[in-house]
Amino acid sequence: MLILILIGLNFIYDATLYKKDLYEKCEQVVEIRKKQDSTDIFYFAESSNFNTRESDSIQYMISEMTGMFFPSLKLTSINKPATHAGIYKVWLKNISLKRKKPKAIVVTLNMRSFDAAWIHSNLETQLQESMVLTQPYPNLVNRFLLSLQAFDNKTEEQRTKEMLDDWETVKLVFPFDFKYKTVRDWDVSYGQYGWDMPDSPEKNKILLTCHYIKAYAFNLNENNPRVKDFDEIAEWCNKNNINLYLNLLAENIEYADSLVGKELVFLMRQNRDYLIKRYNKNNCVVVDNLELINGSEFTDQTWTTEHYGYKGRMIIAKNLANSLKNQFSKEYIKAY
Amino acid sequence: MLFNSLHFLLFLPIVVGLYYLLPQKFRWILIFIASCYFYMVFVPKYILILFLIIVIDYFAALTIEKVNGRLKLFYLIASLTANIGLLAFFKYFNFLNENITTLFSLFGKDIHPINLSVILPIGLSFHTFQSMSYTIEVFKGRQKAERHLGYFANYVLFFPQMVAGPIERYETLGTGLKTEHKPIYQNFADGFRLILFGLFIKMAVADNIAPYVNQIYAEPLKYNSLRILSGMFLFSFQIYADFFGYSTIALGSARLLGINIMDNFKTPYLSKSVSEFWSRWHISLSTWFRDYLYIPLGGNRVKLPRWSLNILIVFLISGLWHGASWTFVAWGALHGLMLLLERFFSKLFNFGIKEGWTLINVLLVLKTFIITSFIWVFFRAESFEKVKEIFTALLTNNQAVEKINVVIPLVFVAVMIFFDILLYNSRFDKKLATFKTPYRWAFYTVILFCLMALSGTQKFTFIYFQF
Repeated sequence: MLILILIGLNFIYDATLYKKDLYEKCEQVVEIRKKQDSTDIFYFAESSNFNTRESDSIQYMISEMTGMFFPSLKLTSINKPATHAGIYKVWLKNISLKRKKPKAIVVTLNMRSFDAAWIHSNLETQLQESMVLTQPYPNLVNRFLLSLQAFDNKTEEQRTKEMLDDWETVKLVFPFDFKYKTVRDWDVSYGQYGWDMPDSPEKNKILLTCHYIKAYAFNLNENNPRVKDFDEIAEWCNKNNINLYLNLLAENIEYADSLVGKELVFLMRQNRDYLIKRYNKNNCVVVDNLELINGSEFTDQTWTTEHYGYKGRMIIAKNLANSLKNQFSKEYIKAY
Repeated sequence: MLFNSLHFLLFLPIVVGLYYLLPQKFRWILIFIASCYFYMVFVPKYILILFLIIVIDYFAALTIEKVNGRLKLFYLIASLTANIGLLAFFKYFNFLNENITTLFSLFGKDIHPINLSVILPIGLSFHTFQSMSYTIEVFKGRQKAERHLGYFANYVLFFPQMVAGPIERYETLGTGLKTEHKPIYQNFADGFRLILFGLFIKMAVADNIAPYVNQIYAEPLKYNSLRILSGMFLFSFQIYADFFGYSTIALGSARLLGINIMDNFKTPYLSKSVSEFWSRWHISLSTWFRDYLYIPLGGNRVKLPRWSLNILIVFLISGLWHGASWTFVAWGALHGLMLLLERFFSKLFNFGIKEGWTLINVLLVLKTFIITSFIWVFFRAESFEKVKEIFTALLTNNQAVEKINVVIPLVFVAVMIFFDILLYNSRFDKKLATFKTPYRWAFYTVILFCLMALSGTQKFTFIYFQF
């Protein structure tokens, strides 16, 4: 009797409130479902795609600029700030392959999304919450799980502790002698640890230096949760025979070098090589933009982000279009 | 562990299943382990405080029973001092420091006492009061001291009511824990009904009202008088639904184990006077104060001035019990004052409240609700500054433009009023048992749908957990 009632209630919920709830919590999934029939290429991204400089004479997103190279194809971008592979993989699974299979999927590969600060970010709770309604259970059950907060719902303190633990315990590996063995050691060597520090004339420079260390000082391996997520994405695309383009975003190598030094740049390049080696196979292509953008083209000069001025966005879009050209040579035109 | 979590919804059936599979002589071990686990999900190390309370009161009661005369009183005072001392240390230490600092600063002295940076152990006020009631009862000779440490530990730790009551007496809960319970259909039916209803009240009603109340109380000066008024009334329903929901789930969970615990609420907002309100709101605390403070102070059998003082003492302490802040003390004091005024006016006009739903009684219910809602402001506001902001906005902010749509919470308030009228002088499980089967299932269906599809999606812990 109870099961019959639950089935009936699930039907009522689907027909009445589900769409509204899904839109409130995860409008990206609604968008994917709505636009997939008319889409040839999906472009999944975080804020790197839509963040522009106010003074930019060109305000187009990277995805829009990429689309200019393929005017006969419909490229749909799905964006959400601070999102990452763990969320992209859920978005992917909401593409109904029975309806229409996209010809290609582009997913931004953000180097910082592999670091401890992003993995244990406080934004993670909200991101995880947004995914609950898309789980493979009846929608009414998902809605109830949402109310029960049955997702990775750690407190800010718990996440911060995990981040600090990672910085303290995860060893940095170099093929040469380097005196700092952890992020914490390296960070402390600049007289700072954590996100805040007392005022000093050099404060802003030290803060930025330390941000670079926290953001990029790690060795990628298969235990990194983001690597596992990208593995799943690559596997899903491979299984469904959809070409996948991992758009490795540009980082400010110039500042990393001048502020921190060659050791950090070494790690960034080593991680880039790891990603290319791991994913550049089967139907997956890693589009390497890591060192394409000059330091001044980054819109945030006092923080580590992948936000670019229009020239930077144009360069990345062009580089991505060049990779896509191999698959869509007939549709390609030289946009700029 | 929160009742409104998946964790609890998985934990409870496992405990209930194992409970009935185990022979009676081992059940206390299961309840003990389950209760410890339940508590340790919050902050594991604080279980040690509970163990300390258990050990102190267990041995204190045994000794009290053995000795006579002054020694008996000495052991009671020692036990009470230990309990209140723990409570004072964790809950009132910093509060006391703040007040001493303020006091010294009035005389131009600048002192910097050390403040504790510890989180208040969840439900500490409840455990200590429950445990104290036991030693007092043993002292008075109304209760035999428990020989079995395990059973006594379970009395203090019993997971359905350990963190926010009801504050039980050993006579009922202790006996319930020791009695062998068989898996009876009626217990399961009642238990599930109560849990379903409690979750609905907490998750659908309280948690849908909470965001609006939080918004209004965060920056009251941004809202106009009408919205402030609605915020005040909404909080009355939020705290009611929150605590009533918790107590109902506690009742249902205990019932699944065959154990009866007391009703903590009896439609308090249908009270015709503040004194009636206190016989219907947080009944286990009210009766605790009645039995262990009000009556020892002289109760009703004293002259009016002394009675007035007794009432004020009880309500001031009750306010302080809720939280280490002067706003809670003011909240208690105002309730005490209202009780005194009620008595004064009823004597002056020789006014007696009659039974039944006459127009006068409806107006009295509204009057009581408005009074309690206004006093709740002191409970909800974190400081007197905030109280001032609320009342300033209420009285002067007619032009404020900030909008807040209160339609959704008002719908849930209407639902709450409906249930209060339906359950007047009854309880959900008992009331539902009087319905014919199709109506009963229709009720389940509606409540289940509201619970699963309409519950709030933000995380709000039970308000009374902080006490």
